[in-house]
Amino acid sequence: MTTYMTTTNKLGRILMVEDDPKDVELSLTALEEYNLANEVVVVNDGVQALDYLYHRGTFANTGVENPAVILLDLKLPRIDGLEVLKHIKSDDKLKMIPVVVLTSSKEENDMVASYKLGVNAYVVKPVDFHDFVNAIRELGVFWAVINEPPPGSMKR
Amino acid sequence: MRGEDWPKDRFAEMSTPVRACSLVFFSISLAVGAALVLDRYIAHDLEVPPFLFAVAVSAWYGRAGGAILALVLSCISFDYFFVQPLHTLSVSASDLPFFAIFAGFASLVTWFSAIRRKVEEELRRARDRLEVVVAERTQQASLLNLTHDTIFVRDMNFVIAYWNRGAEDLYGWSAEEAVGKHSTSLLHTVFPAPLEEILAELMRTGRWDGELQRSKRDGSHVIVSSRWSLQRNDGDRATAILETNNDITDRKRREREIEGLNQELTKRSTELEGTNKELEAFAYSVSHDLRAPLRHMAGYSELLQKRAANVLDEKGNHYILMVIESAKRMGSLIDDLLSFSRIGRAETQKTLVNAGQLVKEALSEVRQETEGRDIAWTFGALPDFYGDRSMLRLVLVNLLSNAIKFTRNRPRAEIEVGSAGGQNGEAVVFVRDNGVGFDMQYANKLFGVFQRLHQANEFEGTGIGLATVQRIIHRHGGRVWAEGGVDRGATFYFSAPTQ
Repeated sequence: MTTYMTTTNKLGRILMVEDDPKDVELSLTALEEYNLANEVVVVNDGVQALDYLYHRGTFANTGVENPAVILLDLKLPRIDGLEVLKHIKSDDKLKMIPVVVLTSSKEENDMVASYKLGVNAYVVKPVDFHDFVNAIRELGVFWAVINEPPPGSMKR
Repeated sequence: MRGEDWPKDRFAEMSTPVRACSLVFFSISLAVGAALVLDRYIAHDLEVPPFLFAVAVSAWYGRAGGAILALVLSCISFDYFFVQPLHTLSVSASDLPFFAIFAGFASLVTWFSAIRRKVEEELRRARDRLEVVVAERTQQASLLNLTHDTIFVRDMNFVIAYWNRGAEDLYGWSAEEAVGKHSTSLLHTVFPAPLEEILAELMRTGRWDGELQRSKRDGSHVIVSSRWSLQRNDGDRATAILETNNDITDRKRREREIEGLNQELTKRSTELEGTNKELEAFAYSVSHDLRAPLRHMAGYSELLQKRAANVLDEKGNHYILMVIESAKRMGSLIDDLLSFSRIGRAETQKTLVNAGQLVKEALSEVRQETEGRDIAWTFGALPDFYGDRSMLRLVLVNLLSNAIKFTRNRPRAEIEVGSAGGQNGEAVVFVRDNGVGFDMQYANKLFGVFQRLHQANEFEGTGIGLATVQRIIHRHGGRVWAEGGVDRGATFYFSAPTQ
């Protein structure tokens, strides 16, 4: 734990694309326990996610750096997760951002489609809260702390 | 005179020379008698004609031999009875004209007779030849009539020249009615292609076959499979078309029915595909939408437990625990149901799989469940199956896991995996245990989804394992069944194809 604490000042920014406020709350709670919650940016659908990444619309005045990792739900209003993933992985400026699909669905089709589009990890949210907390924590710690993000990513 | 006493057949039995001699002697005797009677009672100079008559008869029927014999006999008799001096055989020059007349007459009649015989002989031969031809033709015609196939012949103008009984039976027109008629207008033939093309092919290859629609005499339609053969004469000129027909109306009707059924089947299968898609969407929705609220229930309950554990009394904490447990259980039910439905949808990849190897792999998967247990394993010789490796392994994992689970109360569990004789093309494998068993009257419930014969606090589980086993085995075209008794163990059998 102390290891993580000492690296706190190097935490990457986490973009969480999640439309369900309960999932957002539970995820943030899980990340809070490990002091990872502060750098989480939450957007609620695919359009917002792309706006954030392209610094447009309501996100026109945010910084120019990419997030260290994107936690992406698949079932989203307006533009769904797979579509967002496709945009990210086909854009030269964005495709280096690690994307973790974090979804309720255990559907093989979704998994295959995600990997084909170049997703970096595919995680099914466990029903068990402990498992869920562990999954979120490990993702946060791995992608935002341990993993060295590609150049141009936002670091604190 | 004796000849008349003989039965006719005996006369017929005699050889031709004997018959000729008899005839000559008889006719000359009659001539002598007649000449004597004429000479004595009626008039002189009338004795020659009876002799001429006898010579003529003998020459006519007795041929050359009879003619000579009759000539000699009549000369002698005439000389003896009617030439002076009477009752002597002396011959004078004045008698010679008579003998010459007899000789001339005899040779003339013999000549006529010979000519007649020759003509008769030729006539007879011609008749015989004709009879043979007629017999052949009659036989051919009756053979053509014997066949049930419809056969008719028409000339190049489509005028019917021959019409067999099969044609009568099929079209209802008799041969008398059909012969001489134009076949296309008589039968209202509908050709599958322009007639010019059909005739062109017939002329080029000498044959044509195809399906024709025609009308019977009663107006009903008939579809025939028709074969045409072109007949050419010695000068290679097309002279006639021989056509054979088979009634395929029933076959065509059945084909149309089958086609209709196929269309119906295609429609049904499209519908089924749609239903399947809906089901998949449903499964997706179950997977995605139902799991999320469950996760939230479990998540918030745990957060509540953490925050309020000190505030709540024992009961309150128990209630929260129950909410969390129920959410988890429902989560695993949904997961099991989804993997069960996935087995039904997954493609099978069939290869030859050794059941012994599968048992080994399955055992390593369930190893964890055997920890701290005393289990006596028995393995018999196991067959090869032709099936999907990972699915069949799942069958064995489920059966072994069940055997381990339901022998939990035994101080020493005994589990046997063996093979029982299967029917042709399939093999049977069984897993037997000495566990708690089951009541045979509930045997039919064993393989149902979420069907459980034990209480949850006795043996954990969702009740999907045996349903999965059955689904996999049914997908392989095999059977599953079980034998057991309460507290007397259970044996689960499954069969699967070996090739």
